[in-house]
Amino acid sequence: MTSLPATIFRELRDPLNLVRHLPTLLAVGLVLYAIVAGGYVVALAGFALIYAVFVTGLNIFMGLGGQASFGHNAFAAISGYTSAVLTTSYGWETLPAMGVGVLGAVTLAVIIGYPTLRLKGHYLAMATLAIGLIVYEIAVQWQSVTQGYTGISGIPPLGIGKWEAASDRAQLIVLSLIVILAMLSAWRIRNSRFGRALVAFSGSEDAARALGIDVARYKLAAFVVSAVYAAIAGSLLVHIVGFVSPEVFGMSMVIAGFTMLYVGGIGAVVGPLVGAVMINLLPETFRGLKEYQDIIYGVALIMILIYAPGGFASMSTLWRGAPSEDDTIARDPGLAVNALEAKP
Amino acid sequence: MIDPTYLGQILVNGISVGCIYGLIGIGFCVIYNASGIVNFAQGAFVMLGGMTAYLLIAKTGLPLLAAGVIATLVVAVLGVALERLVVRPLWDRNATMFVMILATLAAQIVVERAMLLMVGDQPKSIAVFTDLPPIRIGGVAIGYQLLWIIGVSVVLISALNAFFQRTLVGRAMRACAIDREAAALQGINVSGMLALSFALSAGLGAIAGFLVTPTQYTAYNVGTPFAISGFIAAIVGGFGRPLGAFLGGIILGVSQALAVVTFGSGMKNVAALSVLLLFLFFRPTGLLGTAK
Amino acid sequence: MTRLSVKGLTKRFGGLVATDNVSFDVPEKGVTAVIGPNGAGKTTLFNLISGFLPPTDGRIFFDGTDVTGTPPERMAAIGLVRTFQLVQLFPQLTVLENVMIGRHVRTRAGLMSALLSLPAARREESETQSKARALIAHVGLGAQTERLAGVLPYGQQRLLEIARALAAEPRLLLLDEPAAGLNHGETERLGLLIREIADGGTTVLLIEHDMRLVMNTADRIVVLNFGAKIAEGTPAEIERHADVIEAYLGGVAA
Repeated sequence: MTSLPATIFRELRDPLNLVRHLPTLLAVGLVLYAIVAGGYVVALAGFALIYAVFVTGLNIFMGLGGQASFGHNAFAAISGYTSAVLTTSYGWETLPAMGVGVLGAVTLAVIIGYPTLRLKGHYLAMATLAIGLIVYEIAVQWQSVTQGYTGISGIPPLGIGKWEAASDRAQLIVLSLIVILAMLSAWRIRNSRFGRALVAFSGSEDAARALGIDVARYKLAAFVVSAVYAAIAGSLLVHIVGFVSPEVFGMSMVIAGFTMLYVGGIGAVVGPLVGAVMINLLPETFRGLKEYQDIIYGVALIMILIYAPGGFASMSTLWRGAPSEDDTIARDPGLAVNALEAKP
Repeated sequence: MIDPTYLGQILVNGISVGCIYGLIGIGFCVIYNASGIVNFAQGAFVMLGGMTAYLLIAKTGLPLLAAGVIATLVVAVLGVALERLVVRPLWDRNATMFVMILATLAAQIVVERAMLLMVGDQPKSIAVFTDLPPIRIGGVAIGYQLLWIIGVSVVLISALNAFFQRTLVGRAMRACAIDREAAALQGINVSGMLALSFALSAGLGAIAGFLVTPTQYTAYNVGTPFAISGFIAAIVGGFGRPLGAFLGGIILGVSQALAVVTFGSGMKNVAALSVLLLFLFFRPTGLLGTAK
Repeated sequence: MTRLSVKGLTKRFGGLVATDNVSFDVPEKGVTAVIGPNGAGKTTLFNLISGFLPPTDGRIFFDGTDVTGTPPERMAAIGLVRTFQLVQLFPQLTVLENVMIGRHVRTRAGLMSALLSLPAARREESETQSKARALIAHVGLGAQTERLAGVLPYGQQRLLEIARALAAEPRLLLLDEPAAGLNHGETERLGLLIREIADGGTTVLLIEHDMRLVMNTADRIVVLNFGAKIAEGTPAEIERHADVIEAYLGGVAA
């Protein structure tokens, strides 16, 4: 049996592996640096950690299940707005507000997932995209609750009971713990009967069914699980920033998420963290490019899709118990997205 | 009881905006038929059409129609640029449909944000083409811009139909739609057809954007809603059928106009997106039977 | 005892009759083979039996229970597992993980127990792993355990697919042309493996083109031609059967 600490230990013993995992170590190092040094990198590290959670959800649905969703911002938005409204208008505490938000997102995921996941190809893509856009439109239009474009401000920071993660450093530490939990849970999912079933139907739906895997049910389960990550990220975002508006959960959230997923390497447990840190922190070396951010993400994503379809980092060993020589084989992760191959 | 005049007004307005959706929907079909690609950056062409015309008029004082023609050509060239820079490299390495969708969606965002930096977030508009009071038929007001929209759409569709039926290039594109490999064996330049389909589709989108801007407005972010509406039009019509897409556009335009009356103007996009989901879930082959 | 009983099975695709009123029994013991020229409807028959296609007419009984129209994932759960003519592995997983997936219907751990790493789930996981390893060793792929399935040579992929199907502990194993693409030596070893599986108590139903493999391993043979059954019997009987010789050699002899 392998456990995550044992795997990490074995991986890091070998200096060659150390080089291979350099992006991961760098990402972890940058977050640690932000915690210790404080200052303006803290906000960026916070964003990176929150996005790492969001992208972990995408990674489970896409990297393991081989399905595609362009609408996971909907789940982040529902949970984020629920958190915001319950804490500001009704004086709820952060944790129960988040809980209700995640529950709302899960409910939507179950209701919408059932008919959506039967679709394939560009129909699936457009349906998921539409879900994200509908939630965005509702956030804009339902002004009595969401205050439209103006947004809701004064959202309290993360906290439990009387304790609030008021300082930047405390927030980062809380977020780091959540990210560790997200990665650990993703790793456990991947190395379980449940996770293997997802990888199975992403490889061959027929073979999976022939072995007794109820593909429709597992697809829905993967969709809901990934929605939970997205929802948690959505709530974290509003509590860390203290403000929410429709733009926070716009379509650029999805594009940014995919950019991070590709940069980190689809399918790798630590990929989302690496991608999120690289995308959030590294552009800061060119400061003053803030308004170019979405353009940079978009162009970066297109370049990666064209020139490095496997993503920059390829650390698939951390998904599995044991490393092997075959891991160096470059595969096009997009190929795993079989739901988008067949026409309906 | 709804006042019949009011209903007539809604129908007229719905039909005219439906023509716009139809043109955009045809844009989806043209590329899809030539290549099997669904271009999620289609909305960028619509936004660029209206915006380029606005910029030409505002900065150079060009007459309206000249600005429209030049804008259409510029956007057609940009369509080819999109094809060369983004679509072609992916096409050449046999990228999956998912990757293609993601890349064109990213391109859409890039164009949108670049436009935001260039012109800001304020809505822009251009003058109506014919500045005369609307014609009244039994209480229903028909603005000249609506006539322009319907007239140009009908002319464009007839021209497209003639292009696909009569000309050698048009027939070659249809051959690609039926069987790409067989077309290549017949000596048809399949990759040239891909570029041409993007030019055609971008031009159609630009004209739609140019026609609709006087009745509404344009802004950096109008592209995505228009693209979605065009996509819905294409779905309703049975994806890949240009005439079906046009009909689908009109159906969508009218139902959207009715939704606005019933639920208020804020629900316009929600109504359209709901129509999309209903069709995807219950009738993905469209109203007109089997999709291609 | 009869493991599988097919009665009047018919499948039409539009005007084409792929399977035409086929009836036969598969006894519990031994290897039954379905043979027939290309296009005789063998794969359609398999798709019907394994639940991938609903029949137009006719019934399928598995251990006496009517299972007509049961979806494949249910069929696997009640003990009928198939392989595919074109190997369908999970290429991005290791050999070990492929076989572990085969244990899906024999294991229970859900999402929650995996997330919490409950002792029961951990125990089941390690049991799944050791059973998978044993099966891999049994089909002779022990040295490949940690390699990705997608990089194995074709012959080994075939063996892996069989090992994965066996992991589900089926009562009836359907093998769809397992020897396709194998060389002489590999086919011979495959024949031995199939015999071993049958002798171990798992009923084997086989579609095969390779007549040597069929004649050496099958206890009973069902012959299809143009979707209909034209003969049934022991290998010795089939060898002498006029209609079979006609179906196979007719075109050549004429």
